[in-house]
Amino acid sequence: MHIPDNYLSPVTCAVMAAAVAPAWILSIKKVKKEMPRAKLPQLGICAALAFLMMMYNVPLPGGTTGHAVGGTLIAILLGPSAACVSVSVALLLQALLFGDGGILSFGANCFNMAFVLPFVGYYVYQFIKERMKSKSGEYVAAAVGSYFGIVVASLCAAIEFGVQPLLFHTAAGQPLYCPYPLSVSIPAMVIPHMLVAGPVELLFTVLILAFVKKVSPDLAERVPEKKTKGIWGLLLALVCATPLGLIASGTAWGEWGTDELAGIAGFTPGGMANGFSFNALLPDYSVSGLPEAVGYILSAVIGAAVLVIVFKLVSDMRKPARQS
Amino acid sequence: MADIPQWLTEPEQYSPPKDRDRFLDRSIVSFVELLSRFRSQSALERDRLWVSPVSKLAAAALYIVLVSLSRQFSFVYVMLAYTAVLLALLPAGDLRRCLTGAALAAALAYLILLPSALAGSRYSITMIPAKTFICVALVNILSRTTRWDRLAGALRRFFFPDLFIFVIDITIKYILLLGEFALQMLYALRLRSVGRNKSKYGSLGGVAGSLFIKSRDMSEELYYAMECRGFTGEYRTSRVRLSWRDGIFWLLNAGIVLVYLLLS
Amino acid sequence: MIEFSGVCYSYGESPALQDVSFSIEAGEAVCLLGPNGSGKSTLLRVLNGLIFPTAGKYSFEGREITPALMKKAAFAKQFHQRVGFVFQDSEAQLFCPTVYDEIAFGPRQMGLGEDEADKRTRDCLSLLGVEALRGRQPYHLSGGEKKKVAVAAVLALNPEVLVLDEPMNSLDPRTAMWLTQFLGQLEAAGKTLIISTHDLSLAAQLSKRAILFGENHAVEADGETAALVKYAALLKKVNLI
Repeated sequence: MHIPDNYLSPVTCAVMAAAVAPAWILSIKKVKKEMPRAKLPQLGICAALAFLMMMYNVPLPGGTTGHAVGGTLIAILLGPSAACVSVSVALLLQALLFGDGGILSFGANCFNMAFVLPFVGYYVYQFIKERMKSKSGEYVAAAVGSYFGIVVASLCAAIEFGVQPLLFHTAAGQPLYCPYPLSVSIPAMVIPHMLVAGPVELLFTVLILAFVKKVSPDLAERVPEKKTKGIWGLLLALVCATPLGLIASGTAWGEWGTDELAGIAGFTPGGMANGFSFNALLPDYSVSGLPEAVGYILSAVIGAAVLVIVFKLVSDMRKPARQS
Repeated sequence: MADIPQWLTEPEQYSPPKDRDRFLDRSIVSFVELLSRFRSQSALERDRLWVSPVSKLAAAALYIVLVSLSRQFSFVYVMLAYTAVLLALLPAGDLRRCLTGAALAAALAYLILLPSALAGSRYSITMIPAKTFICVALVNILSRTTRWDRLAGALRRFFFPDLFIFVIDITIKYILLLGEFALQMLYALRLRSVGRNKSKYGSLGGVAGSLFIKSRDMSEELYYAMECRGFTGEYRTSRVRLSWRDGIFWLLNAGIVLVYLLLS
Repeated sequence: MIEFSGVCYSYGESPALQDVSFSIEAGEAVCLLGPNGSGKSTLLRVLNGLIFPTAGKYSFEGREITPALMKKAAFAKQFHQRVGFVFQDSEAQLFCPTVYDEIAFGPRQMGLGEDEADKRTRDCLSLLGVEALRGRQPYHLSGGEKKKVAVAAVLALNPEVLVLDEPMNSLDPRTAMWLTQFLGQLEAAGKTLIISTHDLSLAAQLSKRAILFGENHAVEADGETAALVKYAALLKKVNLI
């Protein structure tokens, strides 16, 4: 679910970063209250754990495999605030050191995976656990919670994608970032998550929880985080404010007429007749906007760089093959 | 001492039954690649591309923002040239890896956008794969030419608190430590998966669950180790120094920003 | 049975094994001696098919062990059943919820049937003297107990070759002596033993033959243990003493 750069407009990225910032601030405050300052470096180990959990390949019946995020699991074992901080740090390192997920879209990724996923998962888990007092009740709660957590997170991502063509387009009507509207992005993202990523997350969470409870039950015991009225208020505010923020920022860029509203159902690009256009497959790389001479120089620079690159790669390939 | 039972003295005539456990090999591959990335970055004695990590980080961020904002292919073309030159400066191994990462991301973007292009939206498919290539290449170049502890230290210049930098340093260190432990455990599971494992899920829970328990133990130990060395919660990172090379680098960057402004 | 010819291995740029050649016959007991960092652990990983030589050949019973061969599930599983590996760090080797499950893991997979699997598990429990621990969680056992459980779990596969990486590390003297005697029993029962250690006196007790590695990651000597451990000049040269 890691969103790369250039699919969300910088404005959307800024809005999502602003949306997740209060969650960060509150989570850090909560964690600082629970841990003495001298123990705070342990958060690094939680973040390392969050990072590594995403590396396991989880098998599903039928043969497919997938990766889990583990946000709800960490929320259950260490608390949702610690989960928010840990997953955020893990996402930061994934983006910066491994190129997994964009730099600008970091705020959006944290909103989806470090805030929505663990918090929704945790509170659904708490809700069910309190009502199912049996021994297996906790596992059912964890299963449902983690499944919901990731599916709702994928819905958020789908919405972030889907509003792009609505809000950010050129004067001619061409979408500047993700071109797929909500009618496409929501099924395209949510359905695979409901069918594959959700069960993967569910399995991963329940299996590890079961093992930890069996082997080190004291580690699985946590005083449940008190739901302050503040949290609900915050959640509600964020859920409402974020799309409003997106839309409000959109009005500064695009027009907000009835035909835009109609466009939510499906995007009809302006300026295009009907059917296929093969030109679209081979974009035309003429460099308009630059003086000709500069265009030539740049092309020469790129050409020379490409030659150097090819030469280096070829001589590297000629070296005796190494086995990893 | 007990006698060795009969079955242990005879070789096993064993023909393994079929089983599906690709998840185990795939997990092993993920961890092996992760750990080899760590090894290759720790071997960087001197940061490549001879500019300080702070400048590299700031420039990468700056360019990602500009590329993302840009609506002119002309500017994207300028950035393609810049990226190509940077790639050409890298040693062959790093070059290959940065290039494949960026090329794959761009190809994936192209495939994802193809349906919209066929429906008539030309802008996305012209711009986004190229932009993706540039952004992914820049981040990969940054990550492969800078030692990660120096990169974390560079964050300090961006007004992140010292404690945050410390947590990042610890995270990096423990990804390596816990990662090696996790890999050992995956190997242990693979070595003993000699037949049909009817409780694959149990094994996965065991391997990943043990990682969690190990991480809790390591947390305890870390706390004690730091206590013993008098940690009170203050953390000082050494200042990353800028040199004349950074000056030249920023002149170049300023030029490119100017180009961006002129073109839009 | 086991043949290394000119095996080299490097982690990226740093070499771990240089031109290592030797052969081990079925039923032999061999100690791999060398200082820390000489490549013993890497060699054991190659031996077990976890990593593959960057140059040279490793053959098991005449077949070269290559990544392509190990990708074949049937061969890999059979290979791992025949060559058992006890890690240096027992903690990383135990992943089941109870000691009984840990030891029964192998037999259960081999399709032997519940009764036979249970018999083997009970045999291994009593052989290693850990019956009392059968219901305990492996993670919370002491170092020595963990090592015994790990050995039992590997033994339950009935491997022909038993490979042990620094088995005496973190064992108290009594457990270490016990393990030494036990390994002797296994050798008498026909198992091939390959043990890596930096403890010289132990090597002399464990096996007749020793292969000495130097800090240059190559084989320095290969011969009778008793003679090698007395050869002070050579041992000083490789920085073992």
